[in-house]
Amino acid sequence: MNTDWKNFEPVLIPNIKDLYKIDVYEKNGGYEQLKKVFKDKKHTPESLVNEVKAANIRGRGGAGFNAGLKWSFMPKPDGGPRYIAANGDESEPGTFKDRVIFERNPHLFIEGSILAGFAMDITAVYVYIRGEYRDQINMMQKAIDDAYAKGYLGKNILKSGFDLEMYVHSGAGAYICGEESSLMESLEGKRGYPRVKPPFPAQKGLWGRPTTINNIETLANVPLVVKNGADWYTSIGAKTHPGPVLYGISGHVNRPGVYEYPTGMLITDLINDVCKGVRGGKKVKAVIPGGSSTPPLRGDSLDGVRMDADSLRTAGSMMGTAGMIVMDEDTDIVDVIWRISHFYHHESCGQCTPCRDGTGFLEKTLIKIKDGEGEMRDLDILLDLCTQMEGRTICALADAAAWPVRYAVERFREDFEKRVKKTVYAVA
Amino acid sequence: MPEIFIDNIRYEFEGKPKVLQFMLDQGLDHPFFCYHPSLSIPANCRQCYVEAGTPVMNRETNDWELDENGERVIRYFPKLMTSCSLEATDGMVIKTHRTSELVKRGHKDVLEFILMNHPLDCPICDQAGECPLQIQTYKYGPEGSRFEHKKVHKPKRIKLGPRVILDAERCINCTRCVRFTDEISKTHQLTIISRGDKNYPAVAPGTEFDDPYSLNTVDICPVGALTSADFRFKARVWEMNQTPSIDITNGKGCNTDVWVRNNLVLRITPRYNPDVNDHWMPDIGREDYRRMNENRISRPDLKLDGNKIKSSWSNAEMTFAETISNAKPEEFLVLGSAFSSLEDNFTLQKFFKSRGIENISFVTNIQKGSGDGFLMDDDQYPNTNGCRMLGFEELSPATFKKKVSGGKYKVIISLEDDLLGREVIDTTDLNSAFFVYFGSNNNKTSEAADLVIPISNSVETPSTYINVDGRCQRTVPAKETIYTNRKLNLEMSVGRLDRYGTKFDNWVSDRNRVDCIPGWEFLERVALLDNSNFGYETSEDIIHEIAHTNSNFSGVSYEAMDEQLGVQLKVTKETKEKTA
Repeated sequence: MNTDWKNFEPVLIPNIKDLYKIDVYEKNGGYEQLKKVFKDKKHTPESLVNEVKAANIRGRGGAGFNAGLKWSFMPKPDGGPRYIAANGDESEPGTFKDRVIFERNPHLFIEGSILAGFAMDITAVYVYIRGEYRDQINMMQKAIDDAYAKGYLGKNILKSGFDLEMYVHSGAGAYICGEESSLMESLEGKRGYPRVKPPFPAQKGLWGRPTTINNIETLANVPLVVKNGADWYTSIGAKTHPGPVLYGISGHVNRPGVYEYPTGMLITDLINDVCKGVRGGKKVKAVIPGGSSTPPLRGDSLDGVRMDADSLRTAGSMMGTAGMIVMDEDTDIVDVIWRISHFYHHESCGQCTPCRDGTGFLEKTLIKIKDGEGEMRDLDILLDLCTQMEGRTICALADAAAWPVRYAVERFREDFEKRVKKTVYAVA
Repeated sequence: MPEIFIDNIRYEFEGKPKVLQFMLDQGLDHPFFCYHPSLSIPANCRQCYVEAGTPVMNRETNDWELDENGERVIRYFPKLMTSCSLEATDGMVIKTHRTSELVKRGHKDVLEFILMNHPLDCPICDQAGECPLQIQTYKYGPEGSRFEHKKVHKPKRIKLGPRVILDAERCINCTRCVRFTDEISKTHQLTIISRGDKNYPAVAPGTEFDDPYSLNTVDICPVGALTSADFRFKARVWEMNQTPSIDITNGKGCNTDVWVRNNLVLRITPRYNPDVNDHWMPDIGREDYRRMNENRISRPDLKLDGNKIKSSWSNAEMTFAETISNAKPEEFLVLGSAFSSLEDNFTLQKFFKSRGIENISFVTNIQKGSGDGFLMDDDQYPNTNGCRMLGFEELSPATFKKKVSGGKYKVIISLEDDLLGREVIDTTDLNSAFFVYFGSNNNKTSEAADLVIPISNSVETPSTYINVDGRCQRTVPAKETIYTNRKLNLEMSVGRLDRYGTKFDNWVSDRNRVDCIPGWEFLERVALLDNSNFGYETSEDIIHEIAHTNSNFSGVSYEAMDEQLGVQLKVTKETKEKTA
């Protein structure tokens, strides 16, 4: 494990002024990999897929699936259109990393998309950005226009005979459209309802054609792999979950923000060294490691927990999007969980019963507890409802809504018990 | 043949059925809401959970892997699966609520969620009694409710369109109605709006749900969210008798069920027939129930010195017999009708054949361009093919007008066909003739007739019709006339009250019974006057005779029609050409 994180040079968002401008990007080695692949024939599509597969870029959107493996699921080209949907919906509370790529280094993502497009013989890339990112959408559009002007996009890219179109699509403010299949529905102009799988997007995606959905950050990692090779990439960070990652740290820390470091960082290092400790020198009460849907960890159980998929699974949480929320000892967990629950109640698309009605039931029960009207049995009802929701729906939103509640009640039970009425029922 | 084990019982299957449909086909009860066999599968209600597992294949030996007991090693899916979207594979093992506590719990959990925001107004809900949610809650639901909070409130009594009313609070968002307008009627008029537990179906602003098939959404709605503007609050389901019938407003002949209370038809719903109408029928056919109840001719009418008077049956028979015996064969114009049943048309043909009149004609009612290629055909009459197959002369309205306007006919006899109402002829064309009309409803033609014989309509006597595609289908009597009685007529359906009522319930009603007899029976009675009768006792005798004397109809019988949902007849080249 690479523990020398203090000397880590950022590669996704390097410290270069005005990198978002295409000239600056090119001056700093940008689009070099594209030329190497297209002009010097560094890679064939197959070898590129294999290289990415070997690099083990685990999807940065939350599920952590090997990106190269996902690419290899695409069927053989049959002459029809094939798509990439780049997921920049990023609407999970606590997550704000893609935004930095849109602002600081959009061309890295564009280059990665073109390489991915080459590897899978893609016709068009749709960049789905959440509607609230109005400025970022404009910046992304500008970057794409620049790339078109330079001939990196469009017909016959760098005279290689390969065509690729890229479009920006703005979401309309629905969390559910960050789920890959409802993102596709939304792109098609339909209501953002997740699709039933199978068929998987690689077989039947956008408009019934093979489609790969990757996170923005995942695609931005591709040029780095092509440049330095899979071995270099796997040497960074945790063994099973390698690479640089953008940590979006928010909450009660002194210096919140997005930091690029290798995976496998100690959570305590991130809080105490990177973010310069908790506000007011207080103790950490809880950490949500990867966006609001991942189970919260207790502040006193953080020793030795690293930010990679395996370590976090052992600790009882998930890597998610690496959007970490830190809460100090004054935080009221009941309020936090109610707010998270309110978010999921509001954002449930309403397709499947357990999520549509379960999120409402959860929130209403939490409001009852928050208002001091709750009883002990309500805690059991909460846990029961989570069981009724987990794994029972088409997409993972029901799990996302249930996990914070379940693990908060299990790990911070004393906070909940403090808030409920001490009613004792007489047993006859 | 591939096999599947459901609750430890082995079944064989063909093709790639979905597990839920396969279970339903095997007669196994399983709860579901959003699934509909004719629509796409959204798997959104999550009610049809099963535990599913597949045997582990040993890749080297290409055989199932066995454990130490010689049993197949089954790898279960980690989550409960929705059986509606789960494709059956060879060797699959399914556990339902009968064998799995987890599935039982799953069904209960989902019902708890569905009922959470459901208003539970069953006592005033039209759907009660035929409500899948009600039935499945009793079978699989939780005992009580843990939900002690405020329910979500949504709009009620929204008039979506001229025929459909929405109660959004009752809606469980199964999206069947939305999928119906997307996939079957293809008008795309409905969609789900809003998000989460606040969502409900709606039409786009400024439009209304005027789909010609809109009432089908009421049928497939698994709760009382969509109700028929016409039928709502009229009757409880269990007060009515449900009888299979045929829609006769159109040449397509959709299979229907008529729902009768106190000898009044209260509504008409489609009946499943994969070869004709699947699960659907057009709205216009459902409004036909008014014709069955209202404005009926009861007792024969006789015109005397220009005034209509009610006559007795024996008087009508005598008048009819006298009229036909006083005229020469060439002075007759005998009209069958594509609106009347095969039984009536055939008896008419036979009656006049024995009196030397061979030529019987009928007037078509084909409105070019009114069909939509789905369940509404250009042909507005249900039995055009039947008349053709009997060998009647086919007359277009124009040729018929020309034929009749000369005034050369002294006696015109017509089976039920509103010739004046649809402006084929006018009263001046009938002035010189004695016009006998067999009809069940008062209309312009019956007004103009000199003798009106009230005949039973398609829901009062078994009637056979041959639709535009040559499908021979029949109706079953659903309501009583003065001369029939549901206690004696074994064909009439048995309702809930018939089965469970006591004699003090007084459910058998004398009300709304019409004094009419089937057309063939009247002709039989007239023939009896000179002992030339045919010996028909029931309409089944007639169909039996048709099937054995006319090769066009071989294989037709009531039994066959009932068992196979109609008998497919060959539409001859000649009739096809005429249709084209």
